[in-house]
Amino acid sequence: MFQNRAESLALVLPATLFAAIIFIAPVLILLSEGIRPAGGWSLAPYVSFFTTPLNLTVFIRTLKLGVLVTVAAAIIGYAAALCIVNLSAKGRGRMIGLIVLPLMISPVARTYAWIVILGRTGIVNQALEALELTDGPLRILFSETAIFIGLLQLFLPLMIISLVSALENMPRDAIAAARVLGANWLQVFWKVILPLTKEGLVIGGTLVFTGSLTAYITPAILGGSKVLMLETLLYQRVTIANDFASASVIAMILIIMSFSANLLLKRLATARAKR
Amino acid sequence: MSDASFLRLERLTLAYGDTPAIKDLDLSIGRGELVALLGPSGCGKTTTMRSIAGLLKPRSGKILLDGADITRMPANKRAVGLVFQSYALFPHLSVFENVAFGLRLKRIPGGELQKRVQDGLKSVGLSRFADRKPAELSGGQQQRVALARSMVMDPKVLLLDEPLSNLDARLRLEMRAELQRVQKESGITMIFVTHDQGEALALADRIVVMWDGHIEQIGTPEEIYNAPASAFVADFVGFENVFALENGHLKTPRGLVGLSSPAPVGAAGLAWRPIAVQMGLGPYQGTVRGTSFAGRTREYLLDTPLGIIKAEADATGSSYDIGEAVPFDLPIEGAARLSRFA
Amino acid sequence: MTSRILSTTILAVVMIFLIGPFFIIVAASLSAGETLAFPPQGFSFKWVLKVFEIESFRSSFVMSMMLAIFGTLAALVIGTPVSYALARYKLPLGEAIRTIVSAPIIVPGIVVGLALLRYLVIPFGFNLTLALFLAHTALVLPYAVRVVSASMANLRSDIEEAAVLLGCSRLGAFIRVVLPNIRGGILAAFILGFVTSFNQVPVSLFLSGPGIRTLPIDMLAYLETTYDPSVAALSALLAFMSIGIVFLAERFLGFSRYV
Repeated sequence: MFQNRAESLALVLPATLFAAIIFIAPVLILLSEGIRPAGGWSLAPYVSFFTTPLNLTVFIRTLKLGVLVTVAAAIIGYAAALCIVNLSAKGRGRMIGLIVLPLMISPVARTYAWIVILGRTGIVNQALEALELTDGPLRILFSETAIFIGLLQLFLPLMIISLVSALENMPRDAIAAARVLGANWLQVFWKVILPLTKEGLVIGGTLVFTGSLTAYITPAILGGSKVLMLETLLYQRVTIANDFASASVIAMILIIMSFSANLLLKRLATARAKR
Repeated sequence: MSDASFLRLERLTLAYGDTPAIKDLDLSIGRGELVALLGPSGCGKTTTMRSIAGLLKPRSGKILLDGADITRMPANKRAVGLVFQSYALFPHLSVFENVAFGLRLKRIPGGELQKRVQDGLKSVGLSRFADRKPAELSGGQQQRVALARSMVMDPKVLLLDEPLSNLDARLRLEMRAELQRVQKESGITMIFVTHDQGEALALADRIVVMWDGHIEQIGTPEEIYNAPASAFVADFVGFENVFALENGHLKTPRGLVGLSSPAPVGAAGLAWRPIAVQMGLGPYQGTVRGTSFAGRTREYLLDTPLGIIKAEADATGSSYDIGEAVPFDLPIEGAARLSRFA
Repeated sequence: MTSRILSTTILAVVMIFLIGPFFIIVAASLSAGETLAFPPQGFSFKWVLKVFEIESFRSSFVMSMMLAIFGTLAALVIGTPVSYALARYKLPLGEAIRTIVSAPIIVPGIVVGLALLRYLVIPFGFNLTLALFLAHTALVLPYAVRVVSASMANLRSDIEEAAVLLGCSRLGAFIRVVLPNIRGGILAAFILGFVTSFNQVPVSLFLSGPGIRTLPIDMLAYLETTYDPSVAALSALLAFMSIGIVFLAERFLGFSRYV
């Protein structure tokens, strides 16, 4: 009954055509502008992009923030996830609900809160002043630190959830067995927990890393017009300079990074399905 | 159209890609017959059943039902019922609505529909469960719902896919009786697919043994059990010692071996059940390699010049230990004569 | 016992970091003062009320709602058959098709928005609203296909065959037997798609024009010029809306099963 090829094609055709025409074709044309500026084949846009100091700074900053946020999320994530899996089933469910909830809230709203907290007259500066730790307000907003905090808050839930599910799938007795064999907690973490949950770490890490690399709202609100990341740079290049060649290069960088991350995830998923 | 060929398959061929699943199948089934399609998995029995139902499109050949050519008729017009191996009940509908499903599509009016569904449920003893969801029933109950759902449609043929395989031993006996009763009472033509020779022998009027996409043998349970026509059928129904005949000799993995009496004329091979192997005296010599107690009998594995022989002897008689040398015979009168050896 | 205290402390700190800012937003939006501050200066509902008076917020809210509803519906209309076909048929290019329809998840939204602006809107004179609709549909399509596929995976194909043998047409079997059983998945996909589309910023950045803006873009623009608590109030309202939707969905659907 499910052999009719014409029938199956008719079912997938609309969505496939839609994605191909509305989506894939325009993006491919955009990418081609980076290697065919003004009609001829050339890598000039790439050369000029990577030799412009500002662009290079932004590129490196984006990678740096991506790595930092991922590492911080992993550390905090493990601490939180280990606490969560030790809760009762009911407490675990509630905690996970609370952690997932922010993911459903507009990132604009979530990021905006940090203005109130990190601003010149924000809570942090008020506290620092009250404790007389600083002379005058610190400039936290519109800095890499602010972006780091914003991104971490945005993407930490993804890491925690990945790690919780990895820990839940871990053989229950592994930790106890290692303890019985005389391992201390640090050894238990390095030798037992980390190896047994590394898939969860990679999944969470990929989500956090690509999320951070392709973030727009956080750098736009918390980085201001000076501290740019790749997406805000792309926006600036287009709106201020009409520089589509650079936009194409940035698009290519973003797509390559995001695509390889997804490929990695898919590999992991199929490897796991085979087991 | 005679009653003897109520359902007819003519040179039916069906392929998945390039590998044929069934080839040039010819089969006639009479009205009111209960037929088993028997064979190992991959033999084409399920494919045959699904093409009768119209769920698979044959590459060539014909299917005739009640005088009409239904080869190209869509599955929903055929009046063929199918009870799936996993029952395929609709999980979102109650038992009542499952059984009423086909009648509603036929726009059977309310009162008559109520009555037919209730009769259907009553006939399988499930009237009390009309309002339950399938998930709230046991496997045996689910299967009876599936049976009722097909039966209320008054199909010309009812197909059953491995009807007993998902049930435990006790339910299996119950369901077997139930199927026979339903078939007797309704007089419906029933074809069921099974890989279990015991089921086929116990239930069917006629058995169609299939192998590798073709029919090996058609016969009554007695014929299949006592007189298998080919090496495959013999092996499938429990003749553990099967040999081809060559120039009046048994062809064994260790060369040609003579028989204790002259070989029957025209036979392509001979086969013995373990119980037909006569132990204690005879022209052959074997060494006991393994033995196991099976209640009324004891089973032996013998290492012999004919290869490994499986024998079975009355447990109350003399027994033999591992390593012991035993004389034995393969008597012609206890052998099944195979007309084909392939 | 100490480990219990440690564990509670860690969770408390993490939760404050994740959810605390939300409470600060709520508090700041109830301020009586003229600028954004915490602790709030006095208490009033004036900024909450002001949100409803700002004309551009009203129109961009309607725009975002429409895009989220109709974009997601469109994605489900073309995406559900794909999920169905991928689950039921042996498609010659099945994996390729799955990749094509989930491509929008791989390409950053800002790239999609720019590409649509430059190669569909400008050369072919597409109007922006249509472009936004197409972009949001594309954006939601991968989620629709994924979530519906997940609920198709649990549905045996033989119930459709059973329905056909009882007299249904193929389409009839889909409507009577498949749809009722994947209803939960489709609703979950709708909610997930709705939230994703409603909150989406990058894809709509370039697809804005006079009077045509999604709500998050409008909020970003408002932030650039004004520093009053009205955006805080709007953020709080939106957060409550999302929480409400998710709460109801979880309550009635067990939403988290599908995501």
